[in-house]
Amino acid sequence: MKNLILSKERFEHFISLLAKKHNVMGPVHKGYDNFSFQPIKTAAEMTLKYVPTIIPPKKYFMPQYESFLEYDKTWGENMKAVVESEALVLFGVHTCDIAGIKALNIVFSDRPRDYNYLSRKKDVTIMGLECNEYCDEFASCAMMNNHLPDGGYDLFFTDLGDFFFVEVSTLKGDVIVEEIPVFEEALGRHFKELQGLRARKAKTFTNEVGIEYQHVPKILSDTKESLIWNELGDKCLACGNCTNVCPTCYCFNIWDEVNLDLKTGKRVRMWDSCQNEGYAKVAGGESFREERSARQKHRFFKKFKYMVDRYARFFCTGCGRCSRTCMAQINLKETLKKLKEEYAR
Amino acid sequence: MSPKPKVAFFDFACCEGCQLQVANMGEELLDILGAIDVVEFREVMSEKWDQNYDVAVVEGSITDNHAVERIKKIRERSKVLIAYGSCATIGGVNGMKNNFPLEEIRKSVYGESAKFFDTIPTHAVGQVVKVDYFVTGCPVYPPEFVKVLKCALMGINYEVPDYAVCVECKLNENVCMYERGLTCLGPVTRAGCNSWCINNGNICYGCRGMVSNPNIKGAQDVIARYNIDMDLVQNKMNMYNKCRELNKK
Repeated sequence: MKNLILSKERFEHFISLLAKKHNVMGPVHKGYDNFSFQPIKTAAEMTLKYVPTIIPPKKYFMPQYESFLEYDKTWGENMKAVVESEALVLFGVHTCDIAGIKALNIVFSDRPRDYNYLSRKKDVTIMGLECNEYCDEFASCAMMNNHLPDGGYDLFFTDLGDFFFVEVSTLKGDVIVEEIPVFEEALGRHFKELQGLRARKAKTFTNEVGIEYQHVPKILSDTKESLIWNELGDKCLACGNCTNVCPTCYCFNIWDEVNLDLKTGKRVRMWDSCQNEGYAKVAGGESFREERSARQKHRFFKKFKYMVDRYARFFCTGCGRCSRTCMAQINLKETLKKLKEEYAR
Repeated sequence: MSPKPKVAFFDFACCEGCQLQVANMGEELLDILGAIDVVEFREVMSEKWDQNYDVAVVEGSITDNHAVERIKKIRERSKVLIAYGSCATIGGVNGMKNNFPLEEIRKSVYGESAKFFDTIPTHAVGQVVKVDYFVTGCPVYPPEFVKVLKCALMGINYEVPDYAVCVECKLNENVCMYERGLTCLGPVTRAGCNSWCINNGNICYGCRGMVSNPNIKGAQDVIARYNIDMDLVQNKMNMYNKCRELNKK
């Protein structure tokens, strides 16, 4: 690992040079305080102080819609695997979203391995960006301990006024700082400023919910029959927004798309959601999670219990997207607080 | 090679805009014509067909007794019937007729000649005869039309997605219309259009009909929170969805 600095004066130049050599995606303002990772060519197109994007950068690892097999009836069972992937650089990824990518890496590396995801992972270079301040009241990144850089990126940028402190974390990152010679060595005073920011953050980024996250699985297990779940079900429109914007939701549906010759075609997949009406429906019309309350409960258990049991990792990153996007105002932080109160009783 | 399936296009009460969507499809239309034999299609050809149809594609809603007889005959002559466009699948804008007494509406349309024209409440095609496939939308979303046609040709099922337009809208990463201060019917409307309108800066008008299990109370709470007049939403819903009331009877 090595540490560098990039002076602010050189930042625009850095992005322009980077974008000449690579496909660069960065946070772009879409209006109404909404942001989205989009292809960029210059620093001016990006907004670096941004609220988490509408959908997280997982879209570059598992696209909303993708083909993964091609078939021809004359080939019999010999279908052809396809991966649609291209090399790209993600600039300005927040620590919450890096945590999301780390969570997905675990899921898709588990057997059976998902080669489409893993090839893309190899193709993507991640340049993280530290949040010096809170994005808004929906975030719970401090509770989930995701407000500080903790690996999972190639380069990591921290804005310290006149310069960015740049942590080079991987060989891939090192190649880039070598090929674009705009970086300087980080000196003692630079480290000091970084430590100063982290000390300030330790005061402002404090547990937003008042629950140690390690306790959440137990709280959930003990409040399984709580009426709080029915309240969520009464509010929920089952629009699927909470899961579609979640950086760790990975469910998808699969079907075949035949060409008009009715002989050749492709097998495709598209993001699916446990909140959708048909998700848990089986042949004959029976649904295993007919009630919206059961679907919401499942979402919380998935993030804070099932995945913890299986992978020893929490699948909530604290990004706050689910609460931010919910028209019915189902709020993750508030729900956890209510569950804890009931648990304590 | 077996002969290509005989396909006929018909229209009832409608603007014929869905036929136009098909006729305007461009290059893909050539591929479609490679797979089917179009034997009747009033908007683009004069020929008629006097035998049975493998597939009948029907636009428009059923609004008088003559239409009832005609659609029954088409159904009898067709192995497969596809209803396409909101008028055919859910009654669509023609359903607004059902807001008024039949006599009143007949007089306002035909004036003194009203006695020469019978009329019935607007029905979706599926409320009169059995429909095998539905392509909802005003107009139909051409990629979905092609998808359904392929299912019909292969004899397999097509499921209209039973989740909200919000799902596709979110996947397209649009800014939510409610955040822009607009009232959008996406949260209760069935997807499958790839959030076509919202992608192009418009709100969702609910032309694809409602999801099968909408949370009415929850939606009312949301509408109240955004300070939206309930009558406005009711009117918006009824613009395309009035005919759903016929299902309750």
